[in-house]
Amino acid sequence: MLEIQNISKSFYRKVALDDVSLHIQTGEIFGLLGPNGAGKTTLIRIINRIIEPDKGHIRINGDIMTQQHLSMIGYLPEERGLYRTMTVEDHALFLGQLRGLTKKDVKTQLNYWLEKFEITDWRKKRIEELSKGMAQKVQFICTVLHEPKLLILDEPLSGFDPVNVELIKQELIEMKAKGKTIILSTHNMKSVEEICDRAALIHQSKKIMEGRISEIQEERKTGNYAVKFRGSMIAFVNALWTGFELVDKEVLGDDKFIAHVKMRGDNNFEDLLRTLLGQVKIEAAWEVLPSMQDVFIDLVQPRKEAENA
Amino acid sequence: MRNSWLIALRELKERMGSRSFVLMSFFGPIIILCLIYFLFAFGGEGKQHWNVLITDPSHLLDNKIMAQEDKSITYSFADQYIEMEEFRDAKKFQQYDALFEVNEKVLSNKTAFVFYRVKPSVRMQTRLQFHIERRIEEVMIDQFTDLSVKEFRKIKQPLNVAFRDVFDPLDEASDLRGWVGFFYGAIIFVFIFLFGMTILRSVSREKSNRIVEVLLASVHPNQLLTGKIVGIGIAAFFQFIIWMVVVGAGLYFMRELIFPDMLDASNMDIVQMTDEVKNQTRLDQLYAASEYNEFVNLVYERVQFGTMTAFFLVFFIVGYLFYGSFFAAVGATSGSESDGQQFVLPIIFLLCFSLYAGYFALQNPESSLTTFFHYLPFTSPVVVMVKLAQGYAPEESMQIYVALMILLVSAALNLMLAGRLYKNGILQFGHRVKFSLILRWLKKT
Repeated sequence: MLEIQNISKSFYRKVALDDVSLHIQTGEIFGLLGPNGAGKTTLIRIINRIIEPDKGHIRINGDIMTQQHLSMIGYLPEERGLYRTMTVEDHALFLGQLRGLTKKDVKTQLNYWLEKFEITDWRKKRIEELSKGMAQKVQFICTVLHEPKLLILDEPLSGFDPVNVELIKQELIEMKAKGKTIILSTHNMKSVEEICDRAALIHQSKKIMEGRISEIQEERKTGNYAVKFRGSMIAFVNALWTGFELVDKEVLGDDKFIAHVKMRGDNNFEDLLRTLLGQVKIEAAWEVLPSMQDVFIDLVQPRKEAENA
Repeated sequence: MRNSWLIALRELKERMGSRSFVLMSFFGPIIILCLIYFLFAFGGEGKQHWNVLITDPSHLLDNKIMAQEDKSITYSFADQYIEMEEFRDAKKFQQYDALFEVNEKVLSNKTAFVFYRVKPSVRMQTRLQFHIERRIEEVMIDQFTDLSVKEFRKIKQPLNVAFRDVFDPLDEASDLRGWVGFFYGAIIFVFIFLFGMTILRSVSREKSNRIVEVLLASVHPNQLLTGKIVGIGIAAFFQFIIWMVVVGAGLYFMRELIFPDMLDASNMDIVQMTDEVKNQTRLDQLYAASEYNEFVNLVYERVQFGTMTAFFLVFFIVGYLFYGSFFAAVGATSGSESDGQQFVLPIIFLLCFSLYAGYFALQNPESSLTTFFHYLPFTSPVVVMVKLAQGYAPEESMQIYVALMILLVSAALNLMLAGRLYKNGILQFGHRVKFSLILRWLKKT
């Protein structure tokens, strides 16, 4: 769907992107991750042709991207605004028409989305009458009105309450099922784990990681296991003895825990289960994969520390 | 093109729906009409009350002047000759504003002299002339006819006499006509300033609320800039049309309703004039009125509104594009809305300077500096209006088109440069505006 090939961009002496290449496939949700100032927004602006790269190019469905391709894209920037005095309907009409829809099409699409979000009574409301969350919803609707094939969403979940976060997530999953491609730039790592198929991490203008979420987690796993059990923690620790190491624990109740255990020597998961059997009542046990949050911190933190040193 | 038009329509809708637009559309022309009314009512008036000494050694007027006194003039009579120098210098005559000399030859040569210290207004001159004429008319009726004054006045036909300068039959050199041009030019700059500031605010607001990023993902920066300037320009044009219609209608009603009454003799306390003026047709009243107030004459008789308005519209549009691009560029390059308002000061100075250039052209129509201002795009909209009001000689008429072409080319160039600044500056936030930065943005395509 979208090929970003060797993009570089500098703002005078400051390098914003350094030879970044990404391949985003049709029908996937792609997480674009990175700390603040890494260059994500610059990359998104280049994809949207808001700014031009110094080097490299972007292909969309195999063609070099031009202004005409913009109608295929729906873009929700991180710092988004609306005209405060315009009504929801006027806003939709204005932005929808700018993206090539007719008035009739905009109205049909707007009806669909207002009904879907159960907000039909907002149609004639002025933006200044809406709360921040309500305005966010309107912005989301305006972004998807023209049924773009590629959606670029910069922090789409910020500002929403948990109910609406779930609603938007479900919408994104539904769109993906319909074959839409979505680029999701976010700092919300939980959402990345939940809905993204693949992700890339940009740090200090460079891409430092790209891959499937499960593969990224697999690559960076620590070999720790979690055991959920009933019984005495003292008995659990005694059972571990020298072959295993307790690294973390979580108290779920008076005699209910989740313990994180690290293997020592040649011991494996089966050895652990054998050791614990009869000592505590095991309810569940699984291999602990690092969260995307851990991956993010692991990848970004050492570089920052090295930088500071 | 379609996108620019959509942006223009949005701007237009927002402007026309705003309270300030509605208020300005209503109060702007009302204020202008009030000013015109005051000029009509009080314009051309000098000193309100005059003491006039009539020297009448042959007792022709018999120390009588009118059946009832005009409150604005007090007449006194002297039965000896008074020399002009004596009247000017003698202490006892200092209380008089003018000396009206009626000698024994007046019945044959129909000439009388008025010596004044300060030039009387046109209205005062007309009144003086009217009073003396009427009195001499009575004397002549008595001496040369068997008719009564009443019978004579019944058959007397008024004659309208138009005074024309042989060197300037259309009175083109008159300052007053130039002032009308200056007024037109000033209107252009008021509109440019008001709507230029609207462009600036609109750009700054889109920048500060970040919607510009959504827009730029659909349209090219130049399309956005063009749409914005055109949309706000159409709003300005609409407002101007509203002003023209309201002011035009106001002038018409003033002429038809308020104005003849205002100039009716009865309202001027010239009781003797009442019957005569009342019996005149409206056109005659208008002629009479024009004699009383030079502004009335100016507005209804001497200004070529058609030509002026046509050129006004052309210079208004091109001048707006020229200055509008400055405002848009300032809005796009400034780091914040308050920055933008600060950096608009140089443009305001330029606007003020152009008004001064118009005033200069008014005072020095033949100066070479005026010619320079006439072609300089910063000043040409107002200077051309002044020159147009004063009148171009047939061989000079090309000058106006040359000035227009220069302004047009400059506006196009300005729009191109503003487009560059807009493109490079619109997504920069919270920065400090430096001259070097602006130069860098200008160089970058």
